[in-house]
Amino acid sequence: MTKKLTRMFVCLVGLLILGSAVASAGQYNAVVDIGAPMPEFSDLPATDGSTLSSDDLEEDIVVLVFLANHCPWVKGMDADLVALVDELEGQSVRFVGVSVNHRDDDRLPAMKEHALANGYNFTYVFDESQALGRRLGATTTPEYFVFGKDRRLAYMGLIHNSPASKRRDGTVNYTRGEPTDFYVRDAVAALSAGDEVPVAETRSHGCSVEYQRADG
Amino acid sequence: MPLPRRPTLLRHSALATVIVAMIACAGPAADAPPAATGRDAAAVELRPVTVEEWRIELARLEGRIAVVDMWATWCIPCIERFPHMVELFHRYEAEGVTFVSVCLDDPGDEQAVASARRFLEGQRAVFANYLITENTADAFEKLDLLSIPAVFIYAADGELRYRLTADDPNDQFTDSDVEAAISNLLGELPLV
Repeated sequence: MTKKLTRMFVCLVGLLILGSAVASAGQYNAVVDIGAPMPEFSDLPATDGSTLSSDDLEEDIVVLVFLANHCPWVKGMDADLVALVDELEGQSVRFVGVSVNHRDDDRLPAMKEHALANGYNFTYVFDESQALGRRLGATTTPEYFVFGKDRRLAYMGLIHNSPASKRRDGTVNYTRGEPTDFYVRDAVAALSAGDEVPVAETRSHGCSVEYQRADG
Repeated sequence: MPLPRRPTLLRHSALATVIVAMIACAGPAADAPPAATGRDAAAVELRPVTVEEWRIELARLEGRIAVVDMWATWCIPCIERFPHMVELFHRYEAEGVTFVSVCLDDPGDEQAVASARRFLEGQRAVFANYLITENTADAFEKLDLLSIPAVFIYAADGELRYRLTADDPNDQFTDSDVEAAISNLLGELPLV
């Protein structure tokens, strides 16, 4: 009888642990939820020839954005990202673009060309290990993760409420017209002011991030 | 029970490479090497529907196992996987499995829609193909999609039994997951 009770207790504890693990996922993210710590990373090669580690980030706010050169949703929103970085210049905010796909057109040589052609005004790194993307549950490009001074996740998802893609004729199409809700900008403003982030998670939209299989 | 899903393995077959290069160049997909089927490309249709109309079409499939492939020409993994879906269609059609594709290209981008149609023709995708006419972001939300490719597999009773996606970096689906799901559902059917 005692053994049976012990087994039931162990099972109950196991279920509770499993339940808490599942609850750690966000509404649209299978891996992390708001409040998750920023994963550490080291010596990721950047398009400017430097390397970047998480310890190098001294700013109060860090914005990690997963990008993929080939993706029309990245191309459609490149200008919005560059404009936002410009707008926040002078504030203690650091934007870091991250590419994790292993396709040739998403690797470092192509990243350098893409950054140059699109006026990227932020550090753009390649994470061949894909560890950063995996640990943050990043599955689309572009997808934003905003961390406060405590390096806890404060926002994840879209840059704004009207995802845009670059059409075949080169024009940009905003799916929901002119954007009206600027989630990343609002999250940065709230964190800077010490306020609660108004919208902490949105459904990101874009191209799939392609993760390698363990045996691949 | 849903199958365990595993990280995506991109199968860079020679055929997939040719198809991707063709799409990237916005060249006519109809010029693609013919798929392994003798059916006429003229039988390939891409029918515009709203999400609500798609749901009605989906409900009509009840009574058969249905494999729904969500794709777009801007989604390279979708293009790479599509030939496998066509192959499965030919393998399982006689066993009563229905295959359907739902295209999520920008309905306002005429070149993209034309490219999607040419791609389907090049693939001899002679099953039902739908193009969602709502803006892509809203369509993803209504279909509860985070990303594509995604394959939804419905049992004969209409229940969504396998939702194969790339939504979890550590659990992205593979082609073999699609095959295993179909095989499992076929195994559940009563012997005639």
